[in-house]
Amino acid sequence: MKTPYLLLTCSVFSFAALAQAKPLSYVGGTMVMQENDETGHTLSVDYTFDPHFALGLYTKKEIGGEEFYTIGPQLNTLLKRWNLPEGQGNIFSMTGAGISRQGSTNQPAAWAALLADYETRRLFFSYEPRLMDAANIETSFWQRAHVGFAPYLATYDQLNTWLLLRVDHHPAKTDHVTVTPLVRFFYKTVWLELGYSSNNHVMVNWTAQF
Amino acid sequence: MRRILLTLTILIALSGSILAETITTTVNGMVCAFCATGIEKTFRKQPEVATVKVDLPKKRVVLTTKPGKTLSDAKIKEVVTYSGYSMGKIDRAK
Repeated sequence: MKTPYLLLTCSVFSFAALAQAKPLSYVGGTMVMQENDETGHTLSVDYTFDPHFALGLYTKKEIGGEEFYTIGPQLNTLLKRWNLPEGQGNIFSMTGAGISRQGSTNQPAAWAALLADYETRRLFFSYEPRLMDAANIETSFWQRAHVGFAPYLATYDQLNTWLLLRVDHHPAKTDHVTVTPLVRFFYKTVWLELGYSSNNHVMVNWTAQF
Repeated sequence: MRRILLTLTILIALSGSILAETITTTVNGMVCAFCATGIEKTFRKQPEVATVKVDLPKKRVVLTTKPGKTLSDAKIKEVVTYSGYSMGKIDRAK
């Protein structure tokens, strides 16, 4: 890891915590998430049908290692939530199964992930380990953490801004560890993330909730 | 004189039933504007509710009911819980 990124990582972690889109919205809400980063291009659409469950479709084109496509339905579950006067903590699971395709080869695929987060109005922290089994194409373990803070406290009707650092550990990729400083903007139900990773990839993510 | 007093009493009683009510509830866990939208949208679906205002810094939701309508504490708790949060205290004013 390059020294400036290491220093940035340490300094942001010293502020405390981190952020990431939650895989559930409100009951009756549909969430569209699109991510473009050094690991690939992801599109998911989720419908929350219960305070604890959302069902959706997950698709991803993997890059930065084996290149392949995956598509399949995904169930997102809120396993535990802590509602505190000054913060909220959550544990979610995301599980899915479908098909991975590499070249002209199709393989059954299954994936499972946990997402733990804690946030206040000022700080955010999250950690996500993920298992992916695409048979002969790729079987991998991957983990991601975010740490971030809000430089100002926005009200409900204002533009919210967060400064974050994302650390990825994905041994199946060419670059096993990447660090991505990013800025997140959100206004009510739309958010946009822009970042640049330590292996020189531009990151553009957006989420919209209807 | 009695008639006037009686009329005034009836008018006051009637005006109470047609006034809108302002209900303020604190919501534990409501720290993010992105997430608070769920609470706002769920309260807006309630037929008794005229306006909803989210006050993120104070972690509270201010509801105004339609004239003559009210929302019980149990219903407010149900909406807040259904939206994924837990309810704090409730204040009411007419």
